[in-house]
Amino acid sequence: MAKNDIARYFKNIKDAVATIFEGMTVTCSHFVRKPYTIQYPDRVPVRIQDTLPFRYRGILEVDLEICTGCLACERACPIDCIVIDAPKDQKTKEMLLTRFDIDIAKCMYCGLCSEVCPTGSIHHTTEFEGADFSLESMIRRFVKAPVVAYKAKKEGETDPVVAPILERGMRYIQEFAEPADMKKLKAEQKSAAA
Amino acid sequence: MSLAGYEVEVQRDGGLTTEEMTLNMGPQHPSTHGVLRFIVKADGEVMRTAIPDIGYLHRSIEKISEKVGYHGFMPYTDRVDYVSAMQCNQGWGMVCERIANIEVPRRGEFCRVIACELGRIASHLLAVGAMVQDIGAYTPFLHALREREKINNLLEELCGARLTFNYMRIGGVAWDLPTGYPETVTAFLDQFDPLIDEYHDLISYNKVYVERLASVGVVSKEEAINYNLVGPNLRASGFKYDVRRDEPYSIYSELEFDVPVGTGEVGTLGDCFDRYMVRMKEMRESCKIVRQCLNMMPPGPVLAKVARKLKPPSGDAYIRVEGSRGDMGWYVVSDGSEFPYRTKIRTGSFAAMSIVDKVSRGLMIADLIALIASFDVVAPEVDR
Ligand code: SF4
Ligand code: SF4
Repeated sequence: MAKNDIARYFKNIKDAVATIFEGMTVTCSHFVRKPYTIQYPDRVPVRIQDTLPFRYRGILEVDLEICTGCLACERACPIDCIVIDAPKDQKTKEMLLTRFDIDIAKCMYCGLCSEVCPTGSIHHTTEFEGADFSLESMIRRFVKAPVVAYKAKKEGETDPVVAPILERGMRYIQEFAEPADMKKLKAEQKSAAA
Repeated sequence: MSLAGYEVEVQRDGGLTTEEMTLNMGPQHPSTHGVLRFIVKADGEVMRTAIPDIGYLHRSIEKISEKVGYHGFMPYTDRVDYVSAMQCNQGWGMVCERIANIEVPRRGEFCRVIACELGRIASHLLAVGAMVQDIGAYTPFLHALREREKINNLLEELCGARLTFNYMRIGGVAWDLPTGYPETVTAFLDQFDPLIDEYHDLISYNKVYVERLASVGVVSKEEAINYNLVGPNLRASGFKYDVRRDEPYSIYSELEFDVPVGTGEVGTLGDCFDRYMVRMKEMRESCKIVRQCLNMMPPGPVLAKVARKLKPPSGDAYIRVEGSRGDMGWYVVSDGSEFPYRTKIRTGSFAAMSIVDKVSRGLMIADLIALIASFDVVAPEVDR
């Protein structure tokens, strides 16, 4: 009995040493592998923001030039962190945007608002470093002075300032709607039918 | 002495009676993974009871659904089980589709399953990594987290977020796979598969590790069923039940995969080591499922047309999905308006908490850590 116990005792030690050695070989093999960690924030080769995928849902931004004031985003948001005031101008009968606030402290970056926007005006950026000292400064106010809401033109956008912004917005919508291979597939189906 | 059928050694040296000691473990304790509290009554190092005290992370998620409507609730389901949010997304999507009679496009189902299985691998990686770390080995934890980061990168590319995905919508998924995504995922799986073996070399059969887990916290098959354990915890006790196989939803009936069960290879069936091993094996199966899905994926739309203001007919619906922590039940009652009348979420971690007291009797205090870790309890899922 005692002999058995002693034998088992030494066998346990032997097993423990052997299996730890086996584990250590794996650990040590990492000395020669490529490191996977980076030293954020100051010693990264490229800004993290630039390496993030296109779909990344960072802090929201609004291009007021192409906002139609349709309030779809305000309605879609589950936590009411978007506040828009869009009264009608009595004289010109045009819709004015007098207030467009997003409380990024409340926002949970769910993407439900950018999904419903018809022009891609409200969109996520890849910016994520939003820390600040007061809650007040977390409210992003996009309207500096009242602007006239954007109206889609039938003949397409011609204004040299607005056109590139609208194009960016449309690209944003498209990218989410269907990826490139779906477009290819649709084109193929069309050509097959024709 | 004997306590509830367990032989507990009580030392009475020289006629001195030992006194029971009440210990508080948590709510802030590094090894409870979230805000959980255990009231431990111990005699020396031996536990008499360990009563879980829950509710520290209660956020009224079910009540919120009554205020934000069917579409708006989707991002909140991410927070039910934030370690593997995809399955929660799918649960909510499925229950709403059932109650509103919406058909999901076939490609959408494939997107869902790929996302869910990647999420399951990530969740199990965290589970085994954290478990090993609780036992005292730090390196394997970092290895597991490194792989999990890669999956997070993949999911970020897919849906724009690393944890709170909000990827699925009622009627399908929000976005199709990005261009070149299948190749990226296959490349990841190719390098991940051998890493599971490496992980086994690193820690799984380490003598010290095995000794800490073998025959500790044994849950028999009957107990597991009586306490309503689900998922890997149930399967580790030798009961082969998996919602994906036994009540197939989505496209799981077309896929080929095994349901790993505990074997008691180093100790007793249903011990902590079995629960650990079942998770390791499930990762392999999930890799298999993702590969199959990528091969079988048909072209087509991913999202059905669903009204912006969804008003399902009055009635109720219940569905189950196999979350990373087991059978997850979603129940919703509609009164015909655009807000759910009542939502109920049934989660696996909650059931696992109920058995902790029973199993921990007679164990050492240090083993409680191993026990909780092996049940893979995620605190927000317990409370919702
Ligand atoms: S991302 Fe979500 S929470 Fe944030 S503003 Fe948009 S809808 Fe609201
Ligand atoms: S940002 Fe888009 S959704 Fe919101 S009001 Fe402007 S156009 Fe409408």
